[in-house]
Amino acid sequence: MFPKLDPLLHSELRLAVMSILAEVESAEFSYLRKETDSTAGNLSVQIDKLSAAGYITVEKGFKGKMPCTTCKITPEGIEAFKNYVAALKEYIS
Amino acid sequence: MEKTNENKEMTAQESLSLINEVLNKSRKSILRNNGKHFILWGVLLTVLSLGIYELWHITGNPIWNLLWFAMPIIGIPLVKLISRKDDAIPQNVISKQISKVWLAYCVFVTSIFVISIFTGLIELSLVIVLLLGFAECISGIMLKNWPIIISGFILGVGGAFAAALMPTAAEQLLLFTIGGVILVVTGLIIKIQYR
Repeated sequence: MFPKLDPLLHSELRLAVMSILAEVESAEFSYLRKETDSTAGNLSVQIDKLSAAGYITVEKGFKGKMPCTTCKITPEGIEAFKNYVAALKEYIS
Repeated sequence: MEKTNENKEMTAQESLSLINEVLNKSRKSILRNNGKHFILWGVLLTVLSLGIYELWHITGNPIWNLLWFAMPIIGIPLVKLISRKDDAIPQNVISKQISKVWLAYCVFVTSIFVISIFTGLIELSLVIVLLLGFAECISGIMLKNWPIIISGFILGVGGAFAAALMPTAAEQLLLFTIGGVILVVTGLIIKIQYR
């Protein structure tokens, strides 16, 4: 029997965000937007969902006078991402 | 990557491909950004070593070596300036480790330089060019890039050997000019590798 895929990660944009954050210590909203080629509104909604699940932390601050949002993956997020990838591999094999 | 759609149903294969694609794209952006730092420090090293060589050659006074302290004074503000545009680009494990290798290089070289000024016991150019080649070689290993690994080895080992053979300390400065050119070429290789 195949393992159930985490529905929170089984979405294109959220998976893209988690993949980037798994590689770096933290990333700014502008970087995530550029790398995922998404709109600010859409990305913001998906980040809120990941944050609500405890997969990422979101820190709002300022860079000079400009507002700056920084996202960071949590240990729970890393675990969920690992499990998701392992489940995908089982599906394929 | 095509525009991402949060509601799109993906197969397992599509999900894995997406992860792979996003990771590769992000890794390229981060490491490509490293290339310009190699170019900046390479140009600075080339210009300073040639300048100090000329001044030392003309005046016969080694005091001009103190101009090496201009390197961080000029280099660090320039790094901040060129990074301003891309300051949202984060660091990954590889770029962070490369930065730490070069930071360790700077600490070693500054310490050796200061000790040498007071004691005169160390063959300065030989040690510094060896360390320069070593740091370059380690960077190449982290980037899995053979031309950078080999150029680092040649610069370090060949440079140390050449330094031992060169008759005057002033002439040994030209080894750093070669080192600077190699750093510039390394930066260009990184930019091409992660284009």
